[in-house]
Amino acid sequence: MLERLKVAFGKELDFFLSVPAAIWQILFFGVPILLIVALSFIQFDGPFQFPRLTLVYYLSLLEWPIAKIILRSIFLAAIASICSFLIAYPFSYFLVMKIKRFKVAFLFLLILPFWTNFLLQVYGWYYILDDGGLVNQTFLYLGLISSPLHMLNNFFAVNLLMIYCYLPFMILPIYSSLEKLDKSLIEASLDLGATPLQTLFNVTIPLTKVGIKIGTVLVLVPAFGEFAIPSLMGGGKDMYVGSLVSHFFLTARNSSRGAAFTCLSVLILFAFVGLVFYTFFPKNDLMEEEE
Amino acid sequence: MKLFSAIWLPLITLLTYLFLYLPILVLILFSFNEADLTSGFSAFSLKWYSELFSSTEIWIAIQNSLIVAGFTVFLSLTMGTFFVLYSSKPMMKWINILNYGEIVISDVVIAGALLSLFAFFTVPLGLVTLIAGHTLIGLGYAIPIIKTSFDEIDKRLIEASMDLGATKGQTFRKVVIPLMTPALVASGLLVFIISLDDFTISFFCAGTSAQTLSLYVFTTIKSGLSPVINAVSTLMIAFSSLLVLIFCSLQTKTRFF
Repeated sequence: MLERLKVAFGKELDFFLSVPAAIWQILFFGVPILLIVALSFIQFDGPFQFPRLTLVYYLSLLEWPIAKIILRSIFLAAIASICSFLIAYPFSYFLVMKIKRFKVAFLFLLILPFWTNFLLQVYGWYYILDDGGLVNQTFLYLGLISSPLHMLNNFFAVNLLMIYCYLPFMILPIYSSLEKLDKSLIEASLDLGATPLQTLFNVTIPLTKVGIKIGTVLVLVPAFGEFAIPSLMGGGKDMYVGSLVSHFFLTARNSSRGAAFTCLSVLILFAFVGLVFYTFFPKNDLMEEEE
Repeated sequence: MKLFSAIWLPLITLLTYLFLYLPILVLILFSFNEADLTSGFSAFSLKWYSELFSSTEIWIAIQNSLIVAGFTVFLSLTMGTFFVLYSSKPMMKWINILNYGEIVISDVVIAGALLSLFAFFTVPLGLVTLIAGHTLIGLGYAIPIIKTSFDEIDKRLIEASMDLGATKGQTFRKVVIPLMTPALVASGLLVFIISLDDFTISFFCAGTSAQTLSLYVFTTIKSGLSPVINAVSTLMIAFSSLLVLIFCSLQTKTRFF
């Protein structure tokens, strides 16, 4: 019996070795997502009653404050993506096209902030934005302002920190797609009489669209759900999607309503990302190109 | 346009580096500051470092973070490698779709869903649940890197090894693994740093007993500034620099994100 088991196991060894990763992903990603979808639709009336399907939790979310929170998060994510794109593109362009020597050093300096705990970096900004911080001291010294600017605990600080923390997510994909770009195409375009601007908009940017798309997803999605930065930099005044999710699950312990809100926000995020892609990248081919 | 590329591009690059490094430099500078204020540098001092080394809470947090990161790296790499080497094509495809799902769904949603799972089955929260969550994220990063490196291996080497009489296990140990070592080290480093950096999953899945470094920093910032955090940051930045140096020297074709 044992021998036969051993033989059978030996034959299926490949399967047994490869399956833990799949089980892990299904158990800790697939199942939890299905669970919150289920929780959001099921109402438990009492311990001995049969649970029934309901839309109560979704209907309870149809109120203006909730809509405002979602809109605020979308706005924040949009600003973070647009600003980080506007910084990341010229930055990566310069690094890829103009830097010939010490490239590894520049790359090293680029990866390091990304590999440093982001909460520590958020903490560093307190020293810069505080009433007695670096910016205010410099401005006061230069005589640009007469009393300190209040730059912490407001929407400005949240936005600035979002751009700061998500900038590397935009830079790295754009950088790698610019690096893969065949530089002779740019030369050809310039030789054939296109102006540098035409070359930029008709050759370089279209050919690096994959990087821009990946960067946009990598910034939009986490920025939409971000809650550490708003709760540290926002002064607790405004709620965002991430803070509301954590409120439902951790403070209010209302997991059904939390589940409903989570599902709703994911759907809205999908719709928003879809809209962005439909508007800016009409040919929706992220999946194929990335593979 | 000429003016733009000659002056503005370098300027933007310079300013971006400044923007990225300003908080880091300030953190390091103020870790050597005598006073505990944000306003100005008063005198050089190492007192925050001595305070750091005498504090116990922070070392417990660091220890927890390292335990979680260590287990996460071990689990992600072993499961990821076996998965890439031995899984069937359809399974690969399905898991790939799940991987994409993890990218397009915010961390906070995954964290909330994981918490519901643990709460539903009344699993006590702690280091184990944290490792489970981090390994999920880690696998998402490790599998694509390991797969790319496995695809680049000349498969004739594996055939030759098998033809020359090596068993499957010997081929795995002596041919496949040595060829993939750079990619394995790179993905190990990446997963390690992601686990160490993670805040969202930890915030949801750690419960009250297990405090990681990220959680410690978060609660400290919420209650006010403390230059001990600057001292920790300086040490952490030195540590990450070392890891990034190793990562850059590996020269693997990996995504950094």
